[in-house]
Amino acid sequence: MKDIARQQMSIKVSSMDLLNNQIKLEAHASATYLAMASWCDQNAYTNSAEFFYAQSAEERDHMMKIFKFIADSGGIAISPTVENINHDFSNLEEVFENALDHEIMVTKSIHKILATARNDQDYVVENFLQWFVQEQLEEEKSLRNILDLFELMGRDGIALKLIDERITRGE
Amino acid sequence: MTSVYQSKFYTLYQSNTDRYFYIDFGQKVVKLSFCQLLALRQKVNSIAIETHFDADLNKHGFELLMLCNKEHLFLLNTLEILDLKNLVCYGFALLGISSENAKAVY
Ligand SMILES: [Fe+2]
Ligand SMILES: [Fe+2]
Repeated sequence: MKDIARQQMSIKVSSMDLLNNQIKLEAHASATYLAMASWCDQNAYTNSAEFFYAQSAEERDHMMKIFKFIADSGGIAISPTVENINHDFSNLEEVFENALDHEIMVTKSIHKILATARNDQDYVVENFLQWFVQEQLEEEKSLRNILDLFELMGRDGIALKLIDERITRGE
Repeated sequence: MTSVYQSKFYTLYQSNTDRYFYIDFGQKVVKLSFCQLLALRQKVNSIAIETHFDADLNKHGFELLMLCNKEHLFLLNTLEILDLKNLVCYGFALLGISSENAKAVY
């Protein structure tokens, strides 16, 4: 029997399922950051808003990277639906804390797919995900640095303004 | 044609001459490209079978399945859906592109 399935597709269908789920997560992250940008705009934290607009665009790039990888591997990429986006935050620190929690969740998910791919000897997927492992490390770090500012400068009105001024796109 | 896997109601075949797969649904045989087979897997796997056991969610226990860009239409009951899920799972394992170990299938 000819191996038609393997000729058509270079990754495992089980990896494809996990990657399609990751597409959903990246889309959810993109929409979540957009909501955070909106909150920052409403509360006149201009730099933070810019930071989250940039993050939102980056998450969409991540999503597209996976989307195209699935398509290039001969799989079927599924356009995600995004629901349950939180728009309510009590303060700026909470926004960044939520962002970090979100990144940690994404990191865990990437690691899980990578572990599964390794187990299934799906080396193409394993190799593809290496970039994301590094990216997650950097994103977690930049949010942790921002959260450190709250410890350093305090949480009163002036401090929050100063923190916002220190936040740059893609820090 | 080579039979890949036979479930209770359905059989998945792979052609020996061209690059197509065939599923014998009983009433009719459907010809599928690999991509269409993949799309079928996607649709079948996304059916939440739990809804069949909840009269509020799925009153009559039927699913409408459209295949090959709406070329084929099937109305399947709970047992048929379960069997089709089984065909998809084992079929892909035997085609060698699923993580489920094909040897463990038998
Ligand atoms: Fe991401
Ligand atoms: Fe991220």
